Amino acid sequence: MRGVILKKLSLFIASLLAGTFGIAAFAGASTTTHHAVAAHVTKHSSTLSPQLQLGQTLFDENCSSCHGIDAQGSMLAPKLQGRGAATIDLWVSSGWMPLAVPTDQPRRGVDKFTRVQTTAIADYVASIKAGGFAIPSGSIAGANVSQGQELFSENCAGCHTITGAGDALSGDLNAPSLHGLTTTQITEAIETAPGNMPHFYPGALTATQVKDVVAYVANDIAHPNNSGGIGLGGNGPVAEGFVGLFLGVGACLLFALWVGDRSEDDEEHETEAVKEAHV
Amino acid sequence: MIDGLFTWFDNRLAISRSGRHLLNKIFPDHWSFMIGEIALYSFIVLLATGVFLTLYFVPSGQDVIYHGVYKPLEGQVVSAAFKSTVDLSFAVRGGLLMRQMHHWSANIFIGSIVVHMLRVFFTGAFRRPRELNWLIGTTLMILGIVNGFLGYSIPDDLVSGTGIRIAYSILESIPFVGSYLATLLFGGVFPGDGSIIPRFFILHVLVVPLIILGLLGAHLGMLMKHKHSQFPGNGAREENVVGAPLWPNFFLKTQGFLFLTVAVTTLLGAFVQINPIWLYGPYVPFHVSYAVQPDWYMGWLDGALRVMPSWELHLPGHMIPNVFFPAVLMPGITFNVMMAWPWIEAKFSGDTAEHHLLDRPSHRPVRTAVGAAVLSFYFVLFGASATDVLANYLSISLNTVLLMFRVLCVVVPLIVYPITYFICKEMSQAKGGGRRKSFNVVIRSAEGGYSTVPTEAYAGYARETLEPVSVEEVDLSSILNGAEPTTPAGVYQIPRD
Repeated sequence: MRGVILKKLSLFIASLLAGTFGIAAFAGASTTTHHAVAAHVTKHSSTLSPQLQLGQTLFDENCSSCHGIDAQGSMLAPKLQGRGAATIDLWVSSGWMPLAVPTDQPRRGVDKFTRVQTTAIADYVASIKAGGFAIPSGSIAGANVSQGQELFSENCAGCHTITGAGDALSGDLNAPSLHGLTTTQITEAIETAPGNMPHFYPGALTATQVKDVVAYVANDIAHPNNSGGIGLGGNGPVAEGFVGLFLGVGACLLFALWVGDRSEDDEEHETEAVKEAHV
Repeated sequence: MIDGLFTWFDNRLAISRSGRHLLNKIFPDHWSFMIGEIALYSFIVLLATGVFLTLYFVPSGQDVIYHGVYKPLEGQVVSAAFKSTVDLSFAVRGGLLMRQMHHWSANIFIGSIVVHMLRVFFTGAFRRPRELNWLIGTTLMILGIVNGFLGYSIPDDLVSGTGIRIAYSILESIPFVGSYLATLLFGGVFPGDGSIIPRFFILHVLVVPLIILGLLGAHLGMLMKHKHSQFPGNGAREENVVGAPLWPNFFLKTQGFLFLTVAVTTLLGAFVQINPIWLYGPYVPFHVSYAVQPDWYMGWLDGALRVMPSWELHLPGHMIPNVFFPAVLMPGITFNVMMAWPWIEAKFSGDTAEHHLLDRPSHRPVRTAVGAAVLSFYFVLFGASATDVLANYLSISLNTVLLMFRVLCVVVPLIVYPITYFICKEMSQAKGGGRRKSFNVVIRSAEGGYSTVPTEAYAGYARETLEPVSVEEVDLSSILNGAEPTTPAGVYQIPRD
């Protein structure tokens, strides 16, 4: 009981302070919740499986300060209840979460946990309230890559670019690069539509189509067939232009400088030119 | 045997008489005079690789089903043009190398034309009597850009298809006649009846190259007629040409340069990927990829389209669309002013005399500053064609980057002009500018004083004094009979006509 009151109190203070002082209040809020975490864990842990216990511990330590003790959300971060394990797995495994500073833009990085720990967190959040998608297997057995290419061209290339290099969208938004993702992550992204990404599944794409796209992204976007030499990062004509001008024309100019002679003014002409320039 | 054959031909064609005149031509030797040759040799590479490509490319917008080496496209409906380009890349031996060499060569071709034009502009080589050749050169550059765009478009991949779509809109934006022109060219409303691929193809491989070839002949013919311009020094004057004779000096040098240019193109074609259309997939009018840019020589146009604020002109009964201003009006003004420049400059400077001696850019501060400012303007527009790429890599908002370029394309030229002008002023007044440095030794005396003593660069160094000598008559038949060339290495001069 004391835990619940403390928690509510702390949240109240946090919201109040956050509303009044913005980010400065965050430090205060997190120290207050710290006591609540301890009480919370001792109360419920005996009823959970070891997997969920691990998830709960990690969630309380790393996520609850912003997302709330029961993932109910706060002024700082959205509610995670009912989001499903796939969403949590994607955000944590892609390195977006947890954030060091809650106002930071999430940036892709390495997963800060082991695979077991990440899955445990995802399962724990999913156990609080049902909903969303379970972590997909990411199997691409029997997928039609060609179909995937066509669907990718139609649905994904508009933001992620046809080579999957990613690009800046209007405002501060950006479509991230699709290189270096696991099949599970790609499936999760299509299913759960993180951030500003539009929803494609279920609806626009069937489960088979999702698998086709995942297969194309995991195989041919991640490991493009770079026949013909260095791939220039899938940045197309901008990179090609720089190579063409600086390496191509540049090398030819250096050769010209090597083969050709340099000019030399004679005294008489120089003085004449200097005189002209004075006019 | 060869001797007899030569005499037989010479009796009928009189090669030795006209040939002698040609071989006696003097070419001034300066590295910047070889920039145009890069373009010439790239054009040869373009023709050679282009012929190879036409053997395998199918210029048709007809739908076919792709079956081939590249599995991610297996079974897709693509145009015959796209399929043949993918097959050319994967299934034809040496095909991808030829494609890549062709494309890199196009980049080098137009790039070297631009640099060549800059050389001609900043040294004042366009002045009387070379105004016509300046016109031809500018036309060649425009044709190069046009043909580059056409060639880039015909593989019918997703990225180039987007470019054609933009070209269609640009054509449509021309007041009054635009929609008719666009319909006429595309055989209907976009994407038309598929005839755009064969039409672009025949323009790309026949019509435009033929015009380029003709104008190239005129360009070089006029160069022969006027004789090459030259930098002052080494006895070069308005009324003579100082340099090396065509045979053997210049010919061998330029031959070597041909090999070097081809080598650069081949190395790029072999080791650096360009336009991997299989990764882009076929063009489907309702698909679009983000981050699509044209090749760099169209980049300034793309940048102008991006930078242009969304203004339209509403006339009674007719609206002139936004696209018209950056994509039709601006290039129109650009190319017209460029072509008219020799006359514009003559009007302002009042200088209508013949000039065969070139200017140092620093001796003509106004011209150099105008050129640099205009160049910087197009360079900013070129940068603006990559707003999204810059925003992504620098993690800045795309809107901020766009706004920044709107400001930069006004501010940068305004800053570049005065800076260039004052640098030129300073340089042109510096004593000894444009002359090779002499070698000095600084000696410290026992009392601690310093003195400078001129010295030789290395033991036995003698400062070369080059006194151009008149070219002797070269007898071609004697050379062909194995005689040593009568013109040993050195500096020669011939009078101008």
